Amino acid sequence: MITTDTLTDYIRRAIPGAAVSVTDRTGTMDHFSIRVVSDLFKGRNLLDRHRLIYNALDQPMKDGRIHAVEIKAETTDGS
Amino acid sequence: MADRIMQEIEDEIKKHKILIYGKGTKAMPMCGFTRETMQFFDRFGYPYEIIDVLPNPAKREALTKMTNWPTLPKVFINGQFYGDTDVLEPMEKKGELEPLLKEAFKNG
Repeated sequence: MITTDTLTDYIRRAIPGAAVSVTDRTGTMDHFSIRVVSDLFKGRNLLDRHRLIYNALDQPMKDGRIHAVEIKAETTDGS
Repeated sequence: MADRIMQEIEDEIKKHKILIYGKGTKAMPMCGFTRETMQFFDRFGYPYEIIDVLPNPAKREALTKMTNWPTLPKVFINGQFYGDTDVLEPMEKKGELEPLLKEAFKNG
C-alpha cells in the first residue's frame, strides 16, 4: 500500500517535471494504472520508457507496497 | 547453473514464435496480467506458449537480468523481447504488431 502522492514522488525523482496520473485499479492501493507524460521520453522506445518508470519504482515494488502496475508512457505531443 | 538456465531460455525463445513467461499455466493462469496477455494473443489466432516461472525463482531472476525488466509476464516474439501488453497494445494500435507476427510465422 502506497499513497498516490508518494508514488508520484518516486516517478518525478527519476523523471523531473513529469505529469503523472495514478489510478487505483482494485481499491487496495497496491494495483495501479499509471500514466506518465514527459518529453524525456522523446527518442526512447516503449521498452526503455517503461524501464525508466520501473527503475523509478524499484523500491516500492521490491518492498511490496506496489504489487502491480499498468503503465502508459507518452510525450507531450502524444507519441 | 546460470549457464544452464540461460541455455534453456535461449532454446525456449527459439522454439516458440510467441512465448509468454508468466505466472501459472494456460489452463490456470495465476495472475491477472498473465490472463490478459493470453486474451490479447487469442485475438490474433497465432499459436503461443506459456511457460510458468513461478516454481523457478532462479529462472525468473535470470530472465529479469537478461531483459532488464522486473515484472511478469514477459513476452518474446520471434526471439525478441517485447515487454508486456502495456507495450504490445500501443504497438498494435500503431499497426506495428501484425507485420511482426506475420513475419514470425511466414514459414509456418
